[in-house]
Amino acid sequence: MRRRRPAPAWAVGLAAFALWAMLGKAGAETLLRARINADIRSTDPGTNRDANTDAVVAHIVEGLVAFRDDTSIGPMLADSWAVSNEGKTYTFRLRQGVKFHNGATMTADDVVWSLKRWLDPATQWRCLSEFSASGIARIEKIEAPDAQTVAITLDQPTALFLPTIARPDCGQTAVIHRDSVGADGKWIGPIGTGPFKLAEWKRGQYVDVVRFDGYVSRSEPRTGYTGAKDVKVDRVRFNVIPDSSAAKAGLLSGSLDVITALSIPDLEDLKSRPAVQLSITPSLSLTGILFQTRDPLLKDVRIRRAIALSIDTAQIVDAVMLGTARPNNSALPIGSPFYGEAQSHGYEQNIAEAKKLLVEAGYRGQPIKMITNKRYSFVFDASVLVQAMAQGVGINIELEVMDWAAQLDRYNRGDYQSMAFVYSARLDPSLSFEMLTGPKATQPRKVWDNPEGQEMLRQSMMIDDAAKRQALFDDMHKRFIADVPMIVLFNGAELTALRNGVKGYAGWLYPQPRFWGVTVE
Amino acid sequence: MLGYLARRLLMTIPTLLLVAIGVFALVRLIPGDPVQVMLGDAADPAQAAQLRAQLGLDQPIPVQFMHWIAKLATGDFGHSITNNLAVLPLILERFQVSAVIVLVAVAAAACIAVPAGLVAAWKQNSLLDLSVVGGATLLLSIPSFWLGLLLLLLFGLKLKWLPVIGYVPFTENFWQAASFIVLPIATLTMVEIGVLTRMARAASIEVLRLEYVTHARAKGVPEWRVLARHVLPNAFAPTWTLIGLVLGHLLGGIAVIETVFTLPGLGRLLVDSIFARDYPVVQGCLLFTAVIYVVVNLVVDLCYPLFDPRVTVA
Repeated sequence: MRRRRPAPAWAVGLAAFALWAMLGKAGAETLLRARINADIRSTDPGTNRDANTDAVVAHIVEGLVAFRDDTSIGPMLADSWAVSNEGKTYTFRLRQGVKFHNGATMTADDVVWSLKRWLDPATQWRCLSEFSASGIARIEKIEAPDAQTVAITLDQPTALFLPTIARPDCGQTAVIHRDSVGADGKWIGPIGTGPFKLAEWKRGQYVDVVRFDGYVSRSEPRTGYTGAKDVKVDRVRFNVIPDSSAAKAGLLSGSLDVITALSIPDLEDLKSRPAVQLSITPSLSLTGILFQTRDPLLKDVRIRRAIALSIDTAQIVDAVMLGTARPNNSALPIGSPFYGEAQSHGYEQNIAEAKKLLVEAGYRGQPIKMITNKRYSFVFDASVLVQAMAQGVGINIELEVMDWAAQLDRYNRGDYQSMAFVYSARLDPSLSFEMLTGPKATQPRKVWDNPEGQEMLRQSMMIDDAAKRQALFDDMHKRFIADVPMIVLFNGAELTALRNGVKGYAGWLYPQPRFWGVTVE
Repeated sequence: MLGYLARRLLMTIPTLLLVAIGVFALVRLIPGDPVQVMLGDAADPAQAAQLRAQLGLDQPIPVQFMHWIAKLATGDFGHSITNNLAVLPLILERFQVSAVIVLVAVAAAACIAVPAGLVAAWKQNSLLDLSVVGGATLLLSIPSFWLGLLLLLLFGLKLKWLPVIGYVPFTENFWQAASFIVLPIATLTMVEIGVLTRMARAASIEVLRLEYVTHARAKGVPEWRVLARHVLPNAFAPTWTLIGLVLGHLLGGIAVIETVFTLPGLGRLLVDSIFARDYPVVQGCLLFTAVIYVVVNLVVDLCYPLFDPRVTVA
């Protein structure tokens, strides 16, 4: 029997080098650690969701079109589209060579399959109601004339079709591979086309997404949820950290790179830290004071108007947002392309006029209950200031602090006199008005019950012509200010704190982070 | 002994049923429902109604209760509304995290508090006694979240000895897991030392006054032996009851610590579920905590004769 000779020194050296190289490579993985304040709900886009869920899922999946930085609609998985048949048929030309995370190439069949799945009531897609009888339009046909073309026919024309399928809370109407779902129709996991793949979801702790090496980026510059998505880190970990003090400690100790959705008090605290940089971007959320126009006291527009004239919006915004937001009395956010001259005219503080209106209305200091919450510090602070300023003209506001779920319950039932409330971002001006406008008899959560306003809103959803839409929004703004169903105070700001080693991060009008184009040292 | 155990176990059934009814009613008395939290400021009435029906929340409350109880009888705690996970495995997974922290913290607190209380009682009204009582009162008065944050800032941020956020199970990486839970355990231990020291001191003072202690001393038994053989076992018995209560109390109230230290434990699960109005999880967590209370108390009672032979279990 031959004795085995010991391996020559060079072979041992080579093996050691290979091992070192492998270990070196494994150790060099670039990891970006972000904070989310609550766990995600699911990985199924636009179904069981909330803001954190949307933020994570947007890294994994994409739709035919997506919002740009300025809230206009840009191409994503579709390169182009044409509208025919009097605005009813949208024909999308798909990008070629787009790969799913499992390596399969995306075809028109996948788009049709995905769309049909979203429209199946069993899927519980958030935006299904938009395509029902009471929604923006019904989808009558989805066809794939060839492997690169998808045609969708609606029952009526609408300006909101593309903005709706691009909505992040609709999961961007993601195109997913059919293996994302089991044979029984149950959700398995997202096989999308996004720049990141889902790696691991440790419930209650973190969600990991890793770079998808087969991703072919669009060539336009990064904008909104479209354009170039050039991933420069190997992995992004979304750490679930509910407590903001713990998150701050994590950032300052170097065990966290990014905190999104920072609160105003935290912003103040982190401003002076040399190891931290801040990203402050105006957002489309909306904070305001809602009035119940069916309330025996507040149904009198003079009292509502008196409250509006008693307050100094600019002073409130400065005090509660510390210079990160601008005053705005319009339902359209300042960042909207439709925010113009007309929208800049709101309520000017006028104490004498307010007092006069109160006398005319026969107001004798009856208490007005205002619901508020401490979940959002700026909402609570704003309500305290409104209360104090209204006190200046003799209006007696009593604050009632609730937890968010309890306040939502009262909001949805319309069961309140007034409340300080924050609306999440709406990316289309029609949708900004839609969240406020409607008949209270059937939709008690709506604050502005004005038939003419509703008709104008309906038209704004049908017409595609920008100038005609602008005229409608201007008119609606004037009526809204005159009716005072609520006092819009300001649009929010998206505040993000980053360690100095993080480069390339940019916030945008929609308050969700994007971790493509971002490097970490 | 076995008869006693059977009687005690039988008695837990009505207790748990009462808890179940209370929990179910209380959870539904809180305004706000899960569907609204899920749909937020855009709750379309038709969509909300559909979701409510899908979750079975459109049924009359007694029907919902009967469904829940019927499932409970088969060991099924239902499914979470927010993420559709089975509630019992979710609770058991989270409970492991809380249980390790609470058990270690209570054991550590007892190991420190009982001797400290005994020595303080032995040297009653001395400077030593004053310091122990003062220290215990101080620890008792500090809110646990504040103490936790202080420790976090000192050892995590300033000295950088321990990680600030994160959690790893012991089965994955022992030392890393330990590094993540040192501070939460230290916080809880410090808070509980306060309660237990005062109890141990009070119990020891009573025992020290008894005749058999005087008798032992008169016989010339060395002082350390008097304390160790005669005082400690007799003073420990009442403290033991308190340890049982503390254990149950901590399991229910650990949410603050788990939030400060970002630990995926039972307390945080409960708090998150309350905010989301995730009824099945809230009900499950509360019922589970009640079961733990009952079991801990049973174990404490069964162990009592070991520390105090005068007590018999029959």
